[in-house]
Amino acid sequence: MYEGVRSPLIYTPRTIGEFATVIRRHPQAILWAGGTYLMSQPDYYPGEAKDGIIDLSHMEELKRITRNDRYVEIGAMVTARQLLSTGRLLLPPILQQTLQSLGTQVVRRQITIGGALCISDTRLSLSTTLAVLAASAEVKLYNDSKVTTHWIPVAKLYDKEGKLNLGSKSALLTRIRIGLEFGDFQRFVLFGDPIRKSSECGIVALHAKREQNSLSKVQFCVTFPRKAFHISKDIESKLSGSALPIHPEKVNSLSYELVAELTKMHNTISDLQLERARRIFESFLHDLNSQSLS
Amino acid sequence: MKIECTIDGKALTLSVNSNKPLSLILMEDLENQSLASYCRGNACGNCVVLFNDEAALSCLIPAFRIRGAKIKTFESFQRSRQYRDIERAYKAIGNRPCPSCFNAKTLIIESILQDLTTDTGHPSASTPSKEVVLDKAKVARELSLNSCQCMDMAELIQIVEIALGYRNRRRRVRRS
Repeated sequence: MYEGVRSPLIYTPRTIGEFATVIRRHPQAILWAGGTYLMSQPDYYPGEAKDGIIDLSHMEELKRITRNDRYVEIGAMVTARQLLSTGRLLLPPILQQTLQSLGTQVVRRQITIGGALCISDTRLSLSTTLAVLAASAEVKLYNDSKVTTHWIPVAKLYDKEGKLNLGSKSALLTRIRIGLEFGDFQRFVLFGDPIRKSSECGIVALHAKREQNSLSKVQFCVTFPRKAFHISKDIESKLSGSALPIHPEKVNSLSYELVAELTKMHNTISDLQLERARRIFESFLHDLNSQSLS
Repeated sequence: MKIECTIDGKALTLSVNSNKPLSLILMEDLENQSLASYCRGNACGNCVVLFNDEAALSCLIPAFRIRGAKIKTFESFQRSRQYRDIERAYKAIGNRPCPSCFNAKTLIIESILQDLTTDTGHPSASTPSKEVVLDKAKVARELSLNSCQCMDMAELIQIVEIALGYRNRRRRVRRS
């Protein structure tokens, strides 16, 4: 079967320097990390990969996890399973919960951190959680003979629909950096199945710091795969500095503000998705209240 | 593309498209009867194989990643001693998965058993063995990799529990 299909060339760089040479010669080549998303597309095989495939699995530089007192840096080719097992004592609980939600153990062995962040057209759990944790990604841009390195906040890697926007076709995400000073209130909820039924799915994450009786450093992100990647600066600023417990009326009004924002900016989200996201957001705030009272 | 790998104990040199999924290589090029997956990436979980001794979905492994790998399908796994633990557990419960998902579910159970027995560390002869406490929610999540609903989840968890008992007993006997 598929006799007429041309076999794409596979390039296997071992260092970032070798990668730079290959990407300059083949700027349209597909970058292959874990391959779980690429291969789960219905049109993957037989498919076109005219400029070949660059297999990143041989680049040891991308498989390292390093840490110091302030942050941890995770290589783009570290798998979700490796990160879960090595970072159990180090990583914030919200990230561990997110990694566990990425799939079963069998799939997590293949999912890489860089691959999960660089899916071109849809956003899933990891991007949402890293956005609320204010993580940043090191991105190398290859333009002509020049290589430029940028640290970009994960929240700014995507447009409002969740499409990846690295600024150049020839780019490589090498590592991500997560600060080790995180807030004591972290919540993550994934509803629906992002792979089997992405149209009904949604991801909500909230991260905040409680200082005495007020909230600070509130980061909130809600994602609907293929539809929206929404960070509400308005709600974040309204919540930051607010006294705890938050009045139930304010909780209610904030949740409806979120719905209004989402409907205004993204018209493809279904009513059910909106309602579920609203209720989850409300439950986060009620949870915050109950913790502050206990 | 020419790829050398070991499938079911046989060293093979395959001439296949470099990006062809392993599931299609097994079904079309090698006519392996133990695999039946046509979901085209919709995560049906019917194409599980043991890839370098770890369970993996073969539809998510491209040909260029199988170079030098050891692949075990259900065909050779059913001749192993590990399979007997699971088979005995099926008999003990008096139920088994339907023919279309039997192979995949058995390999998923094997993967869970491997994880449970390696998570506590393979105890050497000098160290006392630890009793494994089964995290049922985690096991259920792993079993959900296969989307076939032919069997009750509670029964499947029971099968894992019983098979784990057989596996631990066999390991204890071997150690002593």
